[in-house]
Amino acid sequence: MRFLAVVLQQTCRNMLFTWKSQIMTQFTVSLSVLIFSFFYLIYSNALHVGQELGDDLRLVVYLEEEPAPAMKEQYQMKILKFDQVDRIEFISSQQAFKRFEQQLGDNSDVLTGVPANFLPPSIEVYPVRSLDSLSRIKRFSDYLQTLPGVLKVQYGKEWIERFYSFIQLMRVVIILSGSLLIMTTTFMVAHTIRLTLLSRQQELELLRLLGATNNYIRMPFLMEGAFQGLLGSSCGILALLLLFNWINLQFAGPTTLTLLPFTFFPWQVTLSIISSATLLCAAGSFSTTRRILQL
Amino acid sequence: MSQETTYPDVMIDMIKVTKVYPPDVQAVSDISLTVNRGEIVFLTGMSGAGKTTLLRLISRIEKPTKGMVEVAGIDVAKLPQRSIHLLRRKIGMAYQDFKLLPDRTVADNIAFSMEVVYRPQSFIEKRTRDLLEQLDLIKKYATRTEELSRGEQQRVSIARAVANFPEIVLADEPTGNLDAETTNRVVNLFNQLNRQGTTILIATHDRSLYQQTSHRVVELRFGRIPAQQQAYPEDSNGDDAASSHSPSLEV
Repeated sequence: MRFLAVVLQQTCRNMLFTWKSQIMTQFTVSLSVLIFSFFYLIYSNALHVGQELGDDLRLVVYLEEEPAPAMKEQYQMKILKFDQVDRIEFISSQQAFKRFEQQLGDNSDVLTGVPANFLPPSIEVYPVRSLDSLSRIKRFSDYLQTLPGVLKVQYGKEWIERFYSFIQLMRVVIILSGSLLIMTTTFMVAHTIRLTLLSRQQELELLRLLGATNNYIRMPFLMEGAFQGLLGSSCGILALLLLFNWINLQFAGPTTLTLLPFTFFPWQVTLSIISSATLLCAAGSFSTTRRILQL
Repeated sequence: MSQETTYPDVMIDMIKVTKVYPPDVQAVSDISLTVNRGEIVFLTGMSGAGKTTLLRLISRIEKPTKGMVEVAGIDVAKLPQRSIHLLRRKIGMAYQDFKLLPDRTVADNIAFSMEVVYRPQSFIEKRTRDLLEQLDLIKKYATRTEELSRGEQQRVSIARAVANFPEIVLADEPTGNLDAETTNRVVNLFNQLNRQGTTILIATHDRSLYQQTSHRVVELRFGRIPAQQQAYPEDSNGDDAASSHSPSLEV
């Protein structure tokens, strides 16, 4: 207990002595966390949107003619053998006509005189709800096209491809901003700690001569690193929350943003980001302390 | 010699110790010295005779090039880096160059040595005030050490060395910058510690300190202890030296 109190006291003293570089480091860590978490927030929301849109996703396989019961079984077997398929539904020409009629509503009279079997029969394939299924859907549709008696396969090809490209881009941005976060936190903290260590060589030497343990000498610097990470990342997350609320306020109303579910991180993710940044900063501090003090 | 190292009251035992600084500066050579628990020993000699090196060898600031240094039964050369603090906590050293932190107050500098061994704050406060009273520095309690005279800095350095009630006090020229009155105060402090069983080694030029003393005076010449010098205590047969301290220092 006494050890902890002394170490805390030393840490606070260190931080007060080097308050200028402390502020610079805090700012850099906050900015890095803000950049990373901003993109991560967009990415996680995009994933959520993808899931929502995926609920309505289905592939329509148009057939040349109404399949016989044996043929239906064949189709069922060949399509359902894929893990990505949730369920399939056969739509006859008559059912397709009725649906169309319902969709037209008051204008359904335009269909007067049109034969009830003018629409081709089809199979509606519902894939499972996952982003992976979105990325594989093109290949799956190519496979469906090869089945006997298939006229054509239809799905929202364009938006799926665009959405998938966007998700890929976001992944790259997240990896880049994550690397930036790692580099800035570890290097900036390591640099600040290095400056502190060098400016206090005399004191550290004296501590050794007076019988301080390695932990006594090292711990305040590790704590300093961890504090920088904790404070910096908390500020970064707080800034993101403010930005998020501002965006929500600015775009409140009947806009695209309100139609899509745009939410902040759950507390577990927030906690993970803060603790990761704290650990990274402590690691940066540890490596510098080890190198300079040779403990 | 090996017999002496087994005595429980031998505090410092140096056997044929040589220290060579690179490239080829022989600071001390073939020195053998035994100091019992509770003894006061004066190390004298000209500048460059090797007094400071001897103290640095005892506190493991330096490692001997040859020979063995044992302090309180610990072979200091074999002590691993991570355990040096165990030795240093037994030793309080007043350095010739004081080694004070100039931007800290007198109280902070003294408290420093007690903080590293996790003394409670109340103890630190009381002990600091007591020492400053004894050394006539209480008025400088909150003064930064860079604002003190050399004599005052020297007293702060001594106060820090003895603050933790160490088993051994190594004082390197402790009265070099002091007048007669303050020298007396320092001597009184050393006597008080010695009465409590502390072993004290004083490296000094100050003849007034050891001229009329009945304590052992060991003179170093060119890094050696001349043959006629008393490198071993008179009574090294293992009697309880700590309880029968030598007479007090007098100036």
